Amino acid sequence: MDYTFQFGEATRHLPYLLGGAWLSLQIGFLAFWGGAIIGLLGALGKEWGGPVVRGLVNAYVVFFTNTPGLVQIFFLVYALPEVGILLPPYWAVLIGLILNSGAYLTEIQRAGFTSVRRTELEAAETLGMSLMQSVRYVVIPHIAKVLFAPLSNFYIWIVLGTSMAAIFGVEELTGRAINISSSNFRTIEVFIITAAIYIAITVVASLILALIGRHGFRVKAKIF
Amino acid sequence: MPHLEITDLSAAYEADAKVLKDVNMTVDKGEIVSLIGPSGSGKSTLLRVLMGLLRPVGGQVVLDGDAIDYTSKSSLRHVRDRCAIVFQQYNLFQNMNVMRNVSIAPIKIKGWDKKTVEAEAADLLAKVGLADKHKAYPDELSGGQQQRVAIARALALKPEVLLLDEVTSALDPELVNEVLDAIRVLASEGMTMIIVSHEMAFVREVSSKVVMMDEGTVVEAGPPAQIFDAPKTRRAQEFVSKILRH
Repeated sequence: MDYTFQFGEATRHLPYLLGGAWLSLQIGFLAFWGGAIIGLLGALGKEWGGPVVRGLVNAYVVFFTNTPGLVQIFFLVYALPEVGILLPPYWAVLIGLILNSGAYLTEIQRAGFTSVRRTELEAAETLGMSLMQSVRYVVIPHIAKVLFAPLSNFYIWIVLGTSMAAIFGVEELTGRAINISSSNFRTIEVFIITAAIYIAITVVASLILALIGRHGFRVKAKIF
Repeated sequence: MPHLEITDLSAAYEADAKVLKDVNMTVDKGEIVSLIGPSGSGKSTLLRVLMGLLRPVGGQVVLDGDAIDYTSKSSLRHVRDRCAIVFQQYNLFQNMNVMRNVSIAPIKIKGWDKKTVEAEAADLLAKVGLADKHKAYPDELSGGQQQRVAIARALALKPEVLLLDEVTSALDPELVNEVLDAIRVLASEGMTMIIVSHEMAFVREVSSKVVMMDEGTVVEAGPPAQIFDAPKTRRAQEFVSKILRH
């Protein structure tokens, strides 16, 4: 290989890339929590809702888990303006990711609900808890523990998924890497640095999540 | 007037298969009534119906002079304020430590003062021999210890009647006595209890009345000496002769 690496051309843009990484983390965070709320409602609807609610949730989950996230965002960016809704790219990407993660998180959280032992709910009932109190004190803490590991993995997945935003001109980490490489043509170096930043982000996030899981939810997960 | 009066109570899991058929029974204040009988005779179902976990299809339950309407939320709350149940499989909240398991209902459901509840919970845990386990989680305890936490949890709501549903059946034999000892303490304090148990020696020792059930009905009821030594009905004679042979 006679390629000469010139990392200096990439590293001098490091602050700019790190700024993009911060934006990626923000989008990932909002997409995750937005999706988690939708997913919680979806899981509640699917588990305890009537036939109409269950049908609507099922349609939503089937659509969003069987089409690529990228296609969904394309739809938000290019089809919605035709009906008069013009979303800035950042918002289109964020809403697309929230809707996409909401569908996956509906299924993940529903699996958590079904893992709740009926006997614990009976105990809660005989102690005088209402349905909402059972959900708050028994169901959610229980599923939080069961779901902590899959949700942590999903969080990492969604942070990496934010790179789709680059296609729509959002200057997150990948977007900024494309900007730099198209001006200095040091594509390999720029994307090696970019990959290293993604790895650093996900490793740190995994570590923090594992520590939270261990101390907050008694999840006996290995950190690596 | 009896504290709890059950009249012609019927219940069914499926529409045409009754598991309780016209059960009649009374429990006075301070009385310890034990339900005995073969598996599937409706003993545990009776406790589940009393707590509102299974809705009766007929008959009446009167608690402290009030007829219970199991279709009404306020009536159910009335029952659950006054009666507490301990299950065979403990049913502790796995995500909470021992202290929280015992104190959550009084604090969060009743809205009682946290410090007072925790002090009382500590006393209850000491009473069942778990003074040093406040911070342990259910999965760190033996079956006997978990069952004693479940008893403390039920008592934390200051029930007038305690229902014990085969509380030693899931335990290793060497752990049975620690739970029975906790119940003996309650018996000595005058707690009103309905006990479903297969521990016949224990039933005979603590009960003021023994009710023998079979196929969803009460076959015979009376003091332990009558049921175990001189049962009047043929079915009770058969059952007692079988269990006493062991």
